[in-house]
Amino acid sequence: MKKYLSALVCGFGAGVLQIVPFLRSFSCCFIIPLAAFVSLMLNQRATNSREKISSKKALMFGIVTGFYAALFGTFFELFITLITKHNDIISTFPELQRMIESFPVTPEIKTEVLNLFQNVREEILTKGFSLLYTFSVLMNNFIVNTIFGAVGGLVGAQIINNRINNPSN
Amino acid sequence: MRFQYRLMLFIVLLLWFSGIFIEWWISFDNHFLFALPFLQKTYSLICHQDKAKLLIFNHGETLTCARCTGIYLGLLLVSIIFLFKDFKRKFPVKFLLYASVPMFADVILYSINVYHYSKLVAFNTGLLLGSVGFLYLYTGLNNLILEMKN
Repeated sequence: MKKYLSALVCGFGAGVLQIVPFLRSFSCCFIIPLAAFVSLMLNQRATNSREKISSKKALMFGIVTGFYAALFGTFFELFITLITKHNDIISTFPELQRMIESFPVTPEIKTEVLNLFQNVREEILTKGFSLLYTFSVLMNNFIVNTIFGAVGGLVGAQIINNRINNPSN
Repeated sequence: MRFQYRLMLFIVLLLWFSGIFIEWWISFDNHFLFALPFLQKTYSLICHQDKAKLLIFNHGETLTCARCTGIYLGLLLVSIIFLFKDFKRKFPVKFLLYASVPMFADVILYSINVYHYSKLVAFNTGLLLGSVGFLYLYTGLNNLILEMKN
């Protein structure tokens, strides 16, 4: 746990940033890779290490940062949904409805898709919880964040190692 | 890096990039409509999906903004080049920093209203960063594979 303290801190930060729409629009796809990079830098500082970072270590830090970001992001998203009984599914539903209606697909499929999301919407509006929504948030956050974290770790390690090799940079 | 790994990397990037155009795929198979809301959620994790910044095509819109679409296209295009030739040289990190300058400059300049947001500029600055970024992703994966072997 202590070994990955920097990943926990950065993962927490990224998890929070991911659910704040205004902040999210600025950092876009760089939140998680940047968090992985910062967690590697913080770890180097905390351990006073001047050694080059191995790719294995970079990968692990990236994955753990992404994992923590997913954990906190999922928790906050589901918790806020539970309390407010409102989320992006509710607010974007009319738009989704219009969008689905405009697609050149068979009416049966349109109805099936709309019914599926209507059920999710109603469950959230009444109980603040939907199993399908929870499953989708969990899957999305854990898969996407760990992959982007790993990428951030692998690329970030090269930047840090380059600075160790050339301290003037 | 062995061809199998390079092919795998290309396929992953191709699948990721194809997902951005899910609205186009729906016209080929209606069942993709079930995946649309799920994929919207997936891509919302890595892109703000601001309506005004999405790319519009015949059958709909992309699931990521012009800049993110550019980044992923850049990654995909360079992965095609690497599919046929395994470049062994190391790339200085300053290339990555230089490639990110136009993108950050664009973000700052339109944010402070020096000029209006342009999808074309956003797409091209993303494309540049994605293309150069692939070199570092590739080097990182290559280093990892070499470490695993030793």
